[in-house]
Amino acid sequence: MRTYENIMIVHPDKVGDEYNAIVEKFKGVLSDLNANLLKVDEWGARKLAYPVKKQGRGSYVLTVFEGEPTIIDEFERRLRLDESIIKFQTVQLEKGFVEDDSAAAAEEGQGAEEEE
Amino acid sequence: MAERSTSGAPAKRSVRRRFSRRKGCRFCADSTLKIDYKEVRNLRYFVTERGKIVPRRISGNCAEHQRKIREAIKRARNIALLPFTAGHSLD
Repeated sequence: MRTYENIMIVHPDKVGDEYNAIVEKFKGVLSDLNANLLKVDEWGARKLAYPVKKQGRGSYVLTVFEGEPTIIDEFERRLRLDESIIKFQTVQLEKGFVEDDSAAAAEEGQGAEEEE
Repeated sequence: MAERSTSGAPAKRSVRRRFSRRKGCRFCADSTLKIDYKEVRNLRYFVTERGKIVPRRISGNCAEHQRKIREAIKRARNIALLPFTAGHSLD
């Protein structure tokens, strides 16, 4: 079981419940592929460093999960199919994810400040 | 041939003059901050205004940390946290 970290940029027009629907959809996809979700972190709308699909802004969603290497192809295929995801990137975390969790939990205040 | 070398040199020299030679690797010795492609604030120290990666001889990093920095910067660029070049940032 490997730990992966996926970050995706959702189209800025998708807000409110549409945006939540997308996030829930991909959480569902991950649980269908029996990966266990460790962390889902939404950074909200942010300015992009360069225009992506003619958009200057996008909302970032970070998901950290553990699963078989085979699920990545399927997950990324779904991401490509969905037009509202304008960009995504999956990274394997060699060292486990746990220490981030405890660090984040330990200094929640510092974590929150980091997020902004 | 001649003018290319001269036009090349001042640009490079201007970058070097702005950066002071930092002694020792920031990550080996003092700080416990982790190199991560999501931590854009830390990566900004290693990127020039034009968005280029600062060479090791100027940033003073050791080889291992410079490789981590380079990888993190390239990943951050891939998901639009860092620009590829200063030119295209509309905002």
